Amino acid sequence: MNNKKSSRPNGLKKAVVRLLGNPKTQGLAIPLFSILVSLAAVSLMVMLFGKNPIDVFKSIMQGSGVLPKAAYASKKGMLTDFMAMLGILTPMIFAALAVAVAFKTGLFNIGVSGQMMISAFAASITVGYSSLPSVIAKPLVILIGIAVGALAGGIIGYLKYRFNVNEVVSSIMLNYIFANLTSFFINSYFINPVSRQSRYISQASRLSIANFEAFGLKMDLPLAFILTIPTAFFVKYLFDRTRLGYELKAVGLNRNASKYAGMNVGKNIVLAMTVSGALAGIAGVTYYMGYFSSIQPKVLSDLGFDAIAVSLLGNSNPIGIIFSSLLITIISRGSNYMSSSVGLQQEIAQVITGLILLFTACGVYIRYRVNILKEELEDEKRELKKEGGQE
Amino acid sequence: MSEYIVEMRHITKKFPGIVANDDVSISVKKGEIYALLGENGAGKSTLMSMLFGMYEPDEGEIYVRGEKVKITSPSHAAKLNIGMVHQHFKLVSNYTITENIILGQEPKKKILGFLPSVDIKNTDKKIADISKKYGLEVDPSKRIEEVNVSIQQRVEILKMLYRESEILIFDEPTAVLTPQEIEFLLKIILELRKGGKTIILITHKLEEIKLVADRCAVLCQGRLVDVLDVKETSTKKMASLMVGRDVDFKVAKSEMNMGREVLSVENLVVKNKDGFPVVNDVSFKIHEGEVFAVAGVSGNGQTELADAIAGMLRCASGKIILNQKDITSENIRNRTEEGISYIPEDRQSVGLVLDYTLSDNICLKNYYKEPFCKNNLLYKKEFKTYSDELIEKYDIRSGQGSDTNVRSMSGGNQQKAIIAREIELGSKLMIFVQPTRGLDIGAIENVHKQILRERDKGKAILLISLELDEIMNLADTIGVIFSGKILKIAPASTLTGNMVGEYMMGVKEHE
Repeated sequence: MNNKKSSRPNGLKKAVVRLLGNPKTQGLAIPLFSILVSLAAVSLMVMLFGKNPIDVFKSIMQGSGVLPKAAYASKKGMLTDFMAMLGILTPMIFAALAVAVAFKTGLFNIGVSGQMMISAFAASITVGYSSLPSVIAKPLVILIGIAVGALAGGIIGYLKYRFNVNEVVSSIMLNYIFANLTSFFINSYFINPVSRQSRYISQASRLSIANFEAFGLKMDLPLAFILTIPTAFFVKYLFDRTRLGYELKAVGLNRNASKYAGMNVGKNIVLAMTVSGALAGIAGVTYYMGYFSSIQPKVLSDLGFDAIAVSLLGNSNPIGIIFSSLLITIISRGSNYMSSSVGLQQEIAQVITGLILLFTACGVYIRYRVNILKEELEDEKRELKKEGGQE
Repeated sequence: MSEYIVEMRHITKKFPGIVANDDVSISVKKGEIYALLGENGAGKSTLMSMLFGMYEPDEGEIYVRGEKVKITSPSHAAKLNIGMVHQHFKLVSNYTITENIILGQEPKKKILGFLPSVDIKNTDKKIADISKKYGLEVDPSKRIEEVNVSIQQRVEILKMLYRESEILIFDEPTAVLTPQEIEFLLKIILELRKGGKTIILITHKLEEIKLVADRCAVLCQGRLVDVLDVKETSTKKMASLMVGRDVDFKVAKSEMNMGREVLSVENLVVKNKDGFPVVNDVSFKIHEGEVFAVAGVSGNGQTELADAIAGMLRCASGKIILNQKDITSENIRNRTEEGISYIPEDRQSVGLVLDYTLSDNICLKNYYKEPFCKNNLLYKKEFKTYSDELIEKYDIRSGQGSDTNVRSMSGGNQQKAIIAREIELGSKLMIFVQPTRGLDIGAIENVHKQILRERDKGKAILLISLELDEIMNLADTIGVIFSGKILKIAPASTLTGNMVGEYMMGVKEHE
């Protein structure tokens, strides 16, 4: 009766659908596709600057210790760079997980930086400046980080639950409060007059081993990294398999329906912010007491804010976050070396990160287009079958 | 020029997974009321959205006043003097009525000869003129949030008239109105025709078509079934064309078999945010095997009454007693466990988590119990087994069964899922609020049968509905609510539709 002819060549359609159309693999295939597209865009931009994109990508990877550099200073090697990258990757993963937990519950934790700082400060003054032995100090630092972070996040959740204070407002305000409070105490009691930062914490309490020697190289060993992947899986498990996760997601998606179903919405909001804060707390101690060993007063870390973008790039999926953190950390760590070795401004690295995020934001659109293509193909198939059947 | 003001020829429109319109052709004469009849999802709204420029057809042509046009946007449609009142109003709630009407076409003036500004004063007058002409009284300086739904609809109509639209499309205009408001609207529509306007009326309510329409096109599953002359066609014929089979308007109802008391509401008062008693000193009882129906014009406290019994709203005073147990201060979960099932009015924003799968939604009220949950761990396999069972039993249709995202399901099937979930809770008391709102005839019939089946099983049923027919068909006992008070409680057999209608308007006893 009505003939449907498509204007597009069928082969391309089929290829796109086969690559990106499978609903089971879409979660992975689409971000990967967006990253590829963004890398292509980056290449184009680099070429406009008259540089070779391959060199740029290579030097970024060299700078973050994923590929070997041409030459190293004594006692330094690829492993040194790699460990340093892992050192900053560790808090990034925790911070992005913190954002994701809140986000799944429909909350926006923009206060990760502040929660990181207050947790690290609390752990520093209690354990960092004590003479506790390593075996006790290190776990204690993490536990205090978790507890203080949970409390800081919980306050935001409680304010929302009890007084309906928007969590974005309260967490920004708490960021200021935490930053200024810690800086007051650091400047009054814990300042290192030379570095203008807080006094260094004891090596026993630091969550990475500084100047660790292996294979004739010196490196900072980020001990807490071993916790990142299990934590990501734990968060995934929490959301996929537990009653709490089911309730948190329901509250995030539809507060009215959750109430109607008999869930305690307020309790869930407080819990979500508490868990989010706890994760931010671990991010704090691994950042200030692992990658660094002191706190710069009054300055909130960029990492807590970058984590929001990283979490989105990972689709708020804990496993996705491991990879998105890795990608963004490699680029930001490697940009220093890239700018000096290729001769491009370091800002370009930030443009690359920006482009990647921009294209992932388009992931939803790409998925939408692919699914339309898929339906069209299926329709055509069905019609062919029908016609075949009639003849 | 042809005698038709609008012609749509061989229109086909596809969306992923469905053909919304399949080779549909309609022609509308100038000055007639042309109805588009069809079940939900039959493609009526899609067809009109194309005329209004919100979508473009995949195939087919549109002619307006004999000229072939390609309508690319609603503003393009407005230039062709086509206006549309959408099912969900498109108004800015904190703007005044005048501001809403002129939005996009603001009359400009210059203060002191150079400062550009919007000329509200003169527009107010112009709007008052139009509204007087068609009997659409509004206070132009009121804000949208201050007026009720029926006034908001008037504003939408005024918007079209202000833009001098000649072809007026109404998408399900009566879905949100009370019987009296519907009557008024239909009068307005007739008035508009007298004024020379052409009206296209999208609806699935047969009585309305019978009352006002000249001709009626019946759509079924995206295809045009027939175009009928309304005067010469019976409602029964229209219904069967629309559904594709014969339809019973009345559900067979057996004798009531009343058992012991299940719910007793005593002097219940519920206050809104401003402290105003929206439910005021309400008392009634419901027994096993009884359908207690609350009739009333929308906004008289019936939703709040249901919410208060289910625990969604706090009671200011009074008592709610379920199975001889005072549950007035229990939380929602405890009430559910005590035996309350609740089919809420707003299925999408209260009854379901739209982005959860069908199985997650079906288990929304017992996910925390065994076998779905042990030691705080969920067993998704049990979720699926249970929901597969209910999907089969209640004929819930969806793209991917238990794994379907509920957002992608049709309204009727979403409602089926809620009803299935609530019935399977096995509660003694079932609260249905507007259970058939927005559903098509086939689905309505199905819901009515289910309600009566539960009643015959010995459940106590509280039915709250704005549809008087629904209440007259199903109720054993009728309570009429007016501004928060129950004015009358009587066995359904002793009341006629007219009497209930009078109580609904607040007319007191006149025996």
